[in-house]
Amino acid sequence: MSGGLSLVLLLLIPLVGGALAWPLGRRFPAVARAVCLAALGLDLVVTIPLLHGTAALAEPGNWLANYDAPWIPAFGMDVRLGMDGIAWLLTVLTIILGMFAIVVSWKEIDEGVGFFHANLMWSLAGTIGVFLALDLFLFFYFWELMLVPMYFVIAIWGHENRRRAAIKFFLFTQGSGLLILISIFALAFLHQSQTGVLTFDYFELQRTQLNGTVAYLIMLGLFIAFVVKLAGFPVHVWLPETHTEAPTAGSVILASILLKTGAYGLFRFVAALLPAAAHQIAPVALWLGVASIFYGALLAYGQSDLKKLIAYTSISHMGFILIGVFVFNALAWQGVIFLLIAHGVSTGALFIIVGSVQHRLHTRDLDRMGGMWTDLPKLSSFGTFFILAAMGLPGLGNFVGEFLILRGAYAVAPVVAITAAVGLIPAALYSLIAVQRAFHGPADAARKVPDFGLRENAMMLALAGAIIWLGVYPRPVLDIAAPALGNLLPVAQTAMLKVAGR
Amino acid sequence: MMPAAPLIILAIAVAVLLAVIASRRSHFAATGTAGFGLLAALASLPWAMHAAAPALPGLFTFDSVSLGFIGLILAASAMILVIGYAYWQKAKLPREEFPLLLLIATLGAAALAASASFITLFLCLETMTLAMIGMIAYPRDRPQAEEAALKYLVLSGMSSAFILFGIGLIELATGSLGLADALAAPASPIMLAGLAMIGVGAGFKLSVVPFHFWVPDIYAGAPAPTGAYVAVIAKIAVMAVLIRVQATGVTLPEGVVTAITAAAILSMLIGNLLALLQQNFKRILGYSSIAHLGYLLVAWLAAGAVARVAVVFYLVTYAITMIGAFGVIAALSSGAAGRDADQLADLRGMFWTRPALAAVLTFLLLSLAGIPPAIGFIAKMYIFAAGIHTELWLLIGTMVASSVIGLFYYLNVIIVMAQRPGEQAPLAAATAWSSRAAMAALGALVLGFGVAPQPLIALLKAILG
Repeated sequence: MSGGLSLVLLLLIPLVGGALAWPLGRRFPAVARAVCLAALGLDLVVTIPLLHGTAALAEPGNWLANYDAPWIPAFGMDVRLGMDGIAWLLTVLTIILGMFAIVVSWKEIDEGVGFFHANLMWSLAGTIGVFLALDLFLFFYFWELMLVPMYFVIAIWGHENRRRAAIKFFLFTQGSGLLILISIFALAFLHQSQTGVLTFDYFELQRTQLNGTVAYLIMLGLFIAFVVKLAGFPVHVWLPETHTEAPTAGSVILASILLKTGAYGLFRFVAALLPAAAHQIAPVALWLGVASIFYGALLAYGQSDLKKLIAYTSISHMGFILIGVFVFNALAWQGVIFLLIAHGVSTGALFIIVGSVQHRLHTRDLDRMGGMWTDLPKLSSFGTFFILAAMGLPGLGNFVGEFLILRGAYAVAPVVAITAAVGLIPAALYSLIAVQRAFHGPADAARKVPDFGLRENAMMLALAGAIIWLGVYPRPVLDIAAPALGNLLPVAQTAMLKVAGR
Repeated sequence: MMPAAPLIILAIAVAVLLAVIASRRSHFAATGTAGFGLLAALASLPWAMHAAAPALPGLFTFDSVSLGFIGLILAASAMILVIGYAYWQKAKLPREEFPLLLLIATLGAAALAASASFITLFLCLETMTLAMIGMIAYPRDRPQAEEAALKYLVLSGMSSAFILFGIGLIELATGSLGLADALAAPASPIMLAGLAMIGVGAGFKLSVVPFHFWVPDIYAGAPAPTGAYVAVIAKIAVMAVLIRVQATGVTLPEGVVTAITAAAILSMLIGNLLALLQQNFKRILGYSSIAHLGYLLVAWLAAGAVARVAVVFYLVTYAITMIGAFGVIAALSSGAAGRDADQLADLRGMFWTRPALAAVLTFLLLSLAGIPPAIGFIAKMYIFAAGIHTELWLLIGTMVASSVIGLFYYLNVIIVMAQRPGEQAPLAAATAWSSRAAMAALGALVLGFGVAPQPLIALLKAILG
């Protein structure tokens, strides 16, 4: 039970923070914002010490902390939480980018401040829960808790076409949620028919004896749901519109954090939970990844809406993630974790920049930008920096992740790796075009708008520092992730040998 | 007579309430007396459960199941009474008869839940229905209420006629009016015809498709507290009979099961689809209740120990959330006004004008939609589990698909509440403390049992055995 209480606190603090912010937001909006920020700060304080903990879970593996208490014994559902290195990294990413989301909406959101922050905080709590849950039903509970508040954020505080975007987001997330639910129940009842015990315990269900077709169908339900969340081709259609129409804080959370839950789900609940079936679908997944890389890059190239352009680049980057997960290789998995974090930081920063551009120029149209460097030098230089980071410039964080993935993939599937590497060329193309159209050239009209102030500069510097640090000194992150990959990889690799008939 | 204590207390309370009204017209005294009667009946339940001797055998069955349902009916009625008190407070009508009608209807509903013979079944059903007609037509200055009452009178009269005819046919086939005897009798054509006719009547009372046409009109026309009563109490009482019938271990003929399956599927789909088109919140709730009855039938068809708890769990959830949703309308409206604040436009901007009430309604809607952390999520999972357990794939598939449709209009209401407030003035200036307390309690139940459902599950398991 070591560190168990911290895990519960980790979930409770943002929930309570959101519940406090709601009533406060009416009279004292600034207090509500401060409360949320303080709650996330507290959450961070709770998370950091967990890194050096060790927990003896009943199961083998490297766990930092765990918690187990009965929840609904009638159905064998437990509040079973566990944190390993991967969950720790993603939780820290969630909390820190959550803080950025709150800071960025300080000036942008002035209607319904309380309810907005409540939704933001509950969505973050749900996300943290998704990363910690080791009971499949609890996982689904948090999954829903994460998505519904986000729906409100888009539908209430979004841009012009928010309704349409919210409905699209809603249909895709609820549809995939149902797939998860059906798969979970099918697995649990299958396990019950074998052992006579109804349980949703992750480790118990891992031991279920599954024959080919049933396992494949259960895996397929989860696989599709997580690829939808990851916005892989061809189930990405919800992403561009949703990310474009959401308010800046919503886009940051959607792109930097919520996409990651899809990747995390593929790791924990597809590759490690149903390894044999996951290997069966690996070839499909690899080529879907390649398709995502090219499709995202080409469509990004064609956009004239800067926010939509960034949204499409996410699809491209998530293609690398998809490839990395399904080569079942320690190096590539390290790369996936790394890219998740780097992408979270760089894309979050880009959405913040687009948000401030829109706040100043009241447009996201690249044709109406141009020449911003003369009027807004700080904004433009940060913009260029993060676009180059997202492109995968060596020395910055994203490069490390992509390189590790390609390196790992080359050992297993060289053709896929080479094709994916070619995808870096269109990435350079859309990045440079975007920089040129937005920041260079003659200005459309003289603009009398302020450049980045202290608040924005501080945010940008922090994120830029993180990206550089990740790029030049990736070691600490890799060290944290390595033992946790040991929780997942052995199961997956043994299964591969079985599939290969060895 | 000890097991019948709750019913006896209710009957005494009706008489006392009549005397109170006759001596002095006071809304507070009348509501207080009715409330005291309901609570006294509720308090007598543990005592009644431990009684050894049966009371009125052949007419009523007082076991833990029927007494449990009586408890649910009493608690729900008490909640509606509280909501109604503030609602009628400003009305320029004689207000004291509303608690009286409510108490009489509750007596009928409670007795119906325990009835063991067709005689008592029919008498109780009529007691409940006739009192409810009075409750629907209560604001006599509202034409739409009169219209709704008349519609309900005609349609429920017709359904009662079906039930009566059905009872006659079954009596002809079996020679007995006891429920147990009728169910144990071998199937014959006359018997089947009788069952079908009773099925039509029960379908009307439960408002499942294709007997659902009255629901939206009557929910929309009735004053909000009555709406809650019609939507909740009548359905609990009829479901109680169905569940007790099932608990006897009777196997229904194949054709009957198919018919109920079809009704469940159609109810889920049609209820949710038609709700999409509505602009009136009460009509939305009406169609939503049709869909929810479909979900309940899924659990009922699943049968077995898991499913029995699932049905009752869902009924409790349904009662809490429906009373809450109508309660919000009641809190926004006043019996003195010409209409209730039931248009979606009336809910606009509630997050700004009535933040606390909007928060409660948000959680109630999440519960109706079956989204965590509200209790409705757990209730829906319970039915899923029961359905998957007994492999009712078609029903579960329909339920899954139709609840996705359902999510749509529930969440839409929340978005309407979050829009900027409209220009029109709210219909009721402020909410009375009694309704505030009631709404807070319902919100706490929705959230509390949604996060930690185990105590409720344990209680229901103990009662249902």
